[in-house]
Amino acid sequence: MKKYVFYPGCVMPTEQYAYELSIREIMPILDIELIDVKGFSCCGEPMKSVNQLMTIYLSARNISIAEKKGYDIFVPCPMCHLSLSECQNVLENNSDINKRINEMLSSENLSYNKPINIVNTVDLIHDIIGLEKIKNLVKNPLNNLKVATHYGCHLIRPSEIGRPVDSENPQKMENILKAIGAEPLDYPEKLDCCGSMINTNLPESALTKTGQKLVAVQDQNFDVFVDICPWCHRMFDSKQKKAGEIVATKLEVPVVYLTQLLGLSFGIDRNKLGFNLNLSPVEKIKLGGK
Amino acid sequence: MSIIDLTSMGEPQKDIKNEINTRLKKLQGEISEFCYQCAKCTSGCEAHKLLELEPHKIVALLKRGLIDELVNSDVIWTCMSCFKCRERCPQKVAPVEILFALKNIAVASGKPIPGKYSAMLQSILSIGLIQDAQTVSNHNNQTIKRNDLDLPDLSKPVDGNKFQLVLSKLAIEKI
Ligand code: SF4
Ligand code: SF4
Repeated sequence: MKKYVFYPGCVMPTEQYAYELSIREIMPILDIELIDVKGFSCCGEPMKSVNQLMTIYLSARNISIAEKKGYDIFVPCPMCHLSLSECQNVLENNSDINKRINEMLSSENLSYNKPINIVNTVDLIHDIIGLEKIKNLVKNPLNNLKVATHYGCHLIRPSEIGRPVDSENPQKMENILKAIGAEPLDYPEKLDCCGSMINTNLPESALTKTGQKLVAVQDQNFDVFVDICPWCHRMFDSKQKKAGEIVATKLEVPVVYLTQLLGLSFGIDRNKLGFNLNLSPVEKIKLGGK
Repeated sequence: MSIIDLTSMGEPQKDIKNEINTRLKKLQGEISEFCYQCAKCTSGCEAHKLLELEPHKIVALLKRGLIDELVNSDVIWTCMSCFKCRERCPQKVAPVEILFALKNIAVASGKPIPGKYSAMLQSILSIGLIQDAQTVSNHNNQTIKRNDLDLPDLSKPVDGNKFQLVLSKLAIEKI
């Protein structure tokens, strides 16, 4: 059993419940123990346009809380993952900011001392748990399921900060999907952004981005669209209907979290994996060939 | 107002230009001076086709010191933070980080913050998260709360007062 402090962030635990449910279902099966900790806050990334120092402070605060527990931190949201990683980078390389942040942290009896490992869902499954283990757990192979993957910008870029997946040719999700029998295929729009970050101030444009990517996926006859980021999933699944209206296309693309699909291949009940919370037509996902 | 219109306006503001460069240097160790206008950033920019953002022009204007025009332009708020420009710039200029800094300066100088940013900030100040647990609808159009699911309590700052104090100081602090 490997242990991690579980850092949920904001979006997943306040509305993207399917991601959290499916993570909590599959991790024990994969011999990962997640430790819930009180006191976390937003990672700060959503405030980067407003005040970057606040972003760094909030991330540092969360890292300090995990560090106090003495375990590495599991961060399923790519945006939080980037924020925490970048924060650690800044604190390691800039002693002025490090000092300033530590002064601020002291009021809550916290301090940033040394970097810890910040792990996301994809590298946890692909690199740490490993594909062999995944293969051995498969009860219902997702044979012939044609899958389009979406990593989310924050998970793959900027590589300078150290990202868990390659920036231009990410393949770790594909490898995981192959291990459970599915058929992931690259497509020209694979690296296109979901638009979520401007949903805050330009929602129509944001949904246009979402819609355009889903239209491309639908036109290429994929069976399912797999993502890993609560911000992206909110756009592709929760807001799919709206996105379709904006790009004037009837969209019927089943969108699921990678962790949901893994759970399905392990034979876990759909409801336990939060499938009833997906708003896209996930009932179209058929197992064991078509 | 588009960025093109902005080039014809105003005198270069050296002080702010220095400030933004110091700030960017401090945070990322990257500055605009290395840009040679290859426009690779713009070729992959997610906001380019849809919203006419041209990151290479942002860098060019910054280089010329037209900070105020940039800070006052709506176009800086169209960036989708996809980080493609930072990833692909052969000169490690990172237009996306320049845009973050420009937006920060706009906020610090009292410009109205667009969209839901203020609401998110307010929420972070009061509960530590950008939003509280939401009621969502499920596949069968029923409403579901976090409490209905087999999930632990939300993790939030334990001592709200201390958390707020540090954060509100930060929120009003100028650059
Ligand atoms: S890619 Fe870099 S060097 Fe080329 S125009 Fe953009 S910022 Fe300048
Ligand atoms: S981060 Fe912003 S400026 Fe850079 S390529 Fe993406 S949308 Fe364009």
